[in-house]
This record gives sequence, C-alpha cells and structure tokens, in this order.
Amino acid sequence: MAHLHIKNLQAGYGKKMILDNINLTVEQGEMIALLGPSGCGKTTLLNALCGFVPVSNGEIFAGNRAVSQLPAEKRNITMVFQSYALWPHMTVAQNIGYGLKVQKAKQAEIESRVSELLSIVKLEGLENEKVTALSGGQRQRVALARALAIRPDVLVLDEPLSNLDAKVRLSVRHEIKALQKQLGFTSLIVTHDQEEALVMADRIAVLNQGKIEQIGTPEEIYHHPSMPFVADFMGAENHIEWPTNDDAFSLNLSNHATPLDIYFRSENAVLSTQQPASKDDFHTGLVINGHVEQSVFFGNNYQISVRCGKHTIQADHDQNLPENTPVTLRVPTDALHAFTKNVEHAEHQKNHAVTV
Amino acid sequence: MIYPQHKALLDKFNIRSLRFSFWLQCVFILLLALALFGPIMNLLIWTVTESWYFPHALPSQWGFKYWQQVFNPYSDVSGSLFTSLLIAVLTVVVCMIVSIPAGYALSKRSMPLRIFWMLLFLIPQAFPNLTVYMNIARLFYEFGLNGTLPGVIIVHSVHGLMFSIWISVAAFSSTDPMLERASRNLGAGPFYTFFHIVLPQAAPGLIASCIFVFLESLDEFTGTFFVGSPNISTLPLLLYTASMEGNYQIASITALILLVPSILFMVIIHKFMKPEMLSKLGK
Repeated sequence: MAHLHIKNLQAGYGKKMILDNINLTVEQGEMIALLGPSGCGKTTLLNALCGFVPVSNGEIFAGNRAVSQLPAEKRNITMVFQSYALWPHMTVAQNIGYGLKVQKAKQAEIESRVSELLSIVKLEGLENEKVTALSGGQRQRVALARALAIRPDVLVLDEPLSNLDAKVRLSVRHEIKALQKQLGFTSLIVTHDQEEALVMADRIAVLNQGKIEQIGTPEEIYHHPSMPFVADFMGAENHIEWPTNDDAFSLNLSNHATPLDIYFRSENAVLSTQQPASKDDFHTGLVINGHVEQSVFFGNNYQISVRCGKHTIQADHDQNLPENTPVTLRVPTDALHAFTKNVEHAEHQKNHAVTV
Repeated sequence: MIYPQHKALLDKFNIRSLRFSFWLQCVFILLLALALFGPIMNLLIWTVTESWYFPHALPSQWGFKYWQQVFNPYSDVSGSLFTSLLIAVLTVVVCMIVSIPAGYALSKRSMPLRIFWMLLFLIPQAFPNLTVYMNIARLFYEFGLNGTLPGVIIVHSVHGLMFSIWISVAAFSSTDPMLERASRNLGAGPFYTFFHIVLPQAAPGLIASCIFVFLESLDEFTGTFFVGSPNISTLPLLLYTASMEGNYQIASITALILLVPSILFMVIIHKFMKPEMLSKLGK
C-alpha cells in the first residue's frame, strides 16, 4: 500500500471536461470518501484513476510512480465495482485468484492467498461455489477480496453498498471499515450517502460539478461546512436568506449587517408551542414564529413543517401537532451555518429545493 | 336469478358448444399435421421401399435393400457425406476466424462505420442467388478455384458469414463491459482479457452461430452446383442427381441423413440461444 496523490487532474469524455482541476492526497492507510450528488463526477474520478477515462491534464501518483499515462493493467490501483463485475463463468476461488494467475504466480501460492482472503472476508468453504449462487452481500465480499488479492497500491470502491438492501448494507459498511483498519489499505470510496461517508471515512471530500468543494474530517464537514452547497448536502436543509424583511424572524448574530445565507438542520430547531417570552436566551441565534403546516411521523420523532411567511422550515419534535398550531422555533447560535452572500453563490441558490 | 332447471340447460348448451369447438380443433390439428408430416411420411415410406408402381397406394415390396446400397463404403453416398461434412466443418472454421474478431470489433459502439460493415455482410443475400453464384463461378475460373474444395468452402463461407457475423455481434454485445474492465483493472492485458473473460462470455452465442453455419453449409446447393460440380459432390448435389434419375429411394434416404444433423442441432441451439442475446441482434 502506498499513498495516492492527485495533482491538478482534468479528465472527461471527448471534449466534455467532467473533472476540473482536482487536487487530493490520500495518505497511506487512510480512507477518503468522495461525497456528492449524482453526476458530480465522483465515479469519473475513480475511472480516471483506474485508467478507464483518459486524463487530459495533471498527474496521478500512486506511491512515487506517475500513473496517469499508463494503461489500466499497469496501474496497480484496483476497484470494487458498483455492479461487482464478478465473472460468472468462474468459481469464487478463480475470481479471487485471477489477478495472481495473470501475474503467473505459482498454483500453491495462489491457493494460499485465496484461502487467506476468504478467511479475511469470512467466506470460508465457498471457494468452489459459482459466484451466481451467492447473495448480494457475499458477492460484494468476493469483489473486495478479488481487488485486495494482488496487494494493490490503492483500493477504490465505487458505491460498493448501493446494490445491497438496507440491513445488509449496515453490516457490510462496518465490515469494510473494520477490514480497512485491520489491513490498513489506502482507499477512496465513492458514495452519495452522507451517513455512509461519515461512518466509514477518515476524511471526506465533497464534490460538486467536477470540483472538490471541501476536504476535511467528518466532524469538520458536518459542523463547519465551508460553503452553502456543503451545508445543504450534509443535511442542513433549512435555508433562509437574511434579511428576510419579515417580523416572524429575529436574528441574534454578531455580524449580521451584511446579507447572509443561513443554513441549519431540522434537529437543531427547538420547537415550542408557548408564545415567545419577551427576552430570548443569550445563546439563541435565530427565533422564528410560524404555524404548523404538516407533521410527518419518523419513528423516533415527528418532522414538522412550519410555515412562516414565504418560508417553510423543517423541525424535529417529539409530539404530533395539529395543523395551524402557532409555534416558535429557536436555533442555537452554534448550529447556524451563516455564509456571506456573494455573486459566486448565487448559482447554488437557484438550485435549492428547500429555498423560498 | 338463475333457477336450477335453467342452470342445467345452460350447462348442456355449454357442453354442446364445447364439443363442437373440440371437434373443430381436432379437424384443424389433423389438417395441419397432414400438411406438415404428409410429405415426410411419403419420404419415410420411400426409404423402406424396394418397388412401388403407379396405381398402387402403397409399395408392393418393402425392404432395406437401398440402405445397404447407401451405406456401402464404396457408394457415392458415403463419399458425398464425407465431403459434405468436411466442407461444413472447414466453412465453420473459416467463418469463426473472420467473425470472432469482426464480431468483437463491431460490438463496440466506437467502431467507425459500424452499420455499414454489418450491412456489407448482408449484400450477397440482397441479389438473386443464381446471378451471384454464376458470377462467382466465372471469377473462380480465372483463379482455377472451380471444382476445388477451397472454392466451395469460400462460397459457403460468404453465405455463412451473414449468419455468423450478425449472431457474433449480438453475442459480444450482450457481454457486460464491466467484466472486461474488472479484468484490465487486475492487471490483465487486452489479449489475456479477451481470451479469458470476453470469449467465454460470448461462447454460447458463438456456438449457436457455428451451428447455423454448419447447417447452412450442409444444405447449400446452388453455390456448390455452380462452383463445385462436377468434381465436388456433396449430399444435396447427390440428392439432386438421384431425384433427376428417378431414384427416389436413394434421394429419400439422403434427405433423411440430412435431416439428422438439423434436428440434432436445433435442440442444441435451443439450449444455447439466450433470449437476452436475441434482443441484441442487430443492435
């Protein structure tokens, strides 16, 4: 295993550039999640790393080797495919041992490596099964074992959990993470599920429209998003533009003279049915008065849509509330993500579903 | 409201209409069977006939005399059978050598003039057979290919390539490109990948196309007649000569021999032709 260094990478199909100046370093033994909406270029980035999409500019270093111009088979960066791409005409052992067979390793060596990997991914005794006879979770593990068999410099995983059903997904998620810690492989995992990224990755890179918007630890990304897109994508889907010109809103921030974009999560909006007291708590950054529009049961709580003027704000609450109940929302200062408005961000705001 | 008496009457009526349609079905099935198997029955009777004269509905003498004649190692039939099989096998080989690489290349979307190349292999079928083969025969005279085995194999291959190319393209198109990527990703070069991953995936379709070519070659008459005769005698040519001479027994037995591989291979094709591959035909 070695570190991966991507420098000023540009890649795309034909004349259409999908990746725009990507810079990213994955340290040895680190797992980075590429997180982004569909079509943001995260799978293209993996394909560029593996040599399936031509690199038009920039360089990729696996360890100290520059690999961007090498053919796919010389890169030693292996991939776990979204569809697993296991070969149906081979057994489990043949699938896993394929890479070693290509390298002309000795039969005994292949067998010992295959049985070692089968025990790592907990599939002992299945070596002579056809892969078509396996369940989704088992296929996933065969794909992982196959990619690890040749001891790659870097392992990349392309939405490895998206084809599994919800329950299996949770267990495989932890297994992959545990394996990654145990074996210490350098890896990049692509996902569109923010929870998956938070749980599995050491660091997260948020991608949007072919650019990396922010790189950081899961805590940094979650608590301190550096721009509106990241805040919104990480679940802070309540958005208001300040000033709102509406008496129902009152903001208590130190620097709210400039126009602001404010984001916060529904779980941070504390809802109360009492009318607002004359003086609010010092820590409360934002107070909103409104009426209940809709209440949806979410299992452990209710998500309540609160209508206030032209905005609809989502808030979590432990009780069901009838429609049109007057309520007050309080959001603590440290749960508010405020961004100074400028021209650059105007584009993002147009795309917001939650805005208005 | 339906009273019991009414109900019984209704049932009776139902049974009568059921019976009527049942007998109608029987008649249709019988007619269809007669149309399908009548000629074959006639053929089967001829194979076990020793003498059969005009006014009689059935042969006057039954026997296997002609079978012995046909399967005599020195007869024309066993010689022609061998020639037919040899030509068919070699035609399959030639067609596969061309259509495996061509089918793989044409299955890739990035191939320039893809549709043009595929249509090119249909062109020999677009013209009347006779004109095409007569011109081929004229051309082959200049190269000394007339009446030779290679000449006949080339003619059969031109005909067989139409099937083998189109079916091969379908077979290669229905393989998952991700399987190829996975192989390259694990360090295998393009050739290793082709032989270990792509070819086994496409094999069922390629086997089906082999069988089509084999059967087409075995049944081919016009091309062999113009290019091969009189030196090359295949079973269809023998059949033609036998029926022209009024030797219906030999002709019928030859036809029966030609029927065996067809039926055998239809069963195999049924096993290998996957529906998802048929849906890729011509895509």
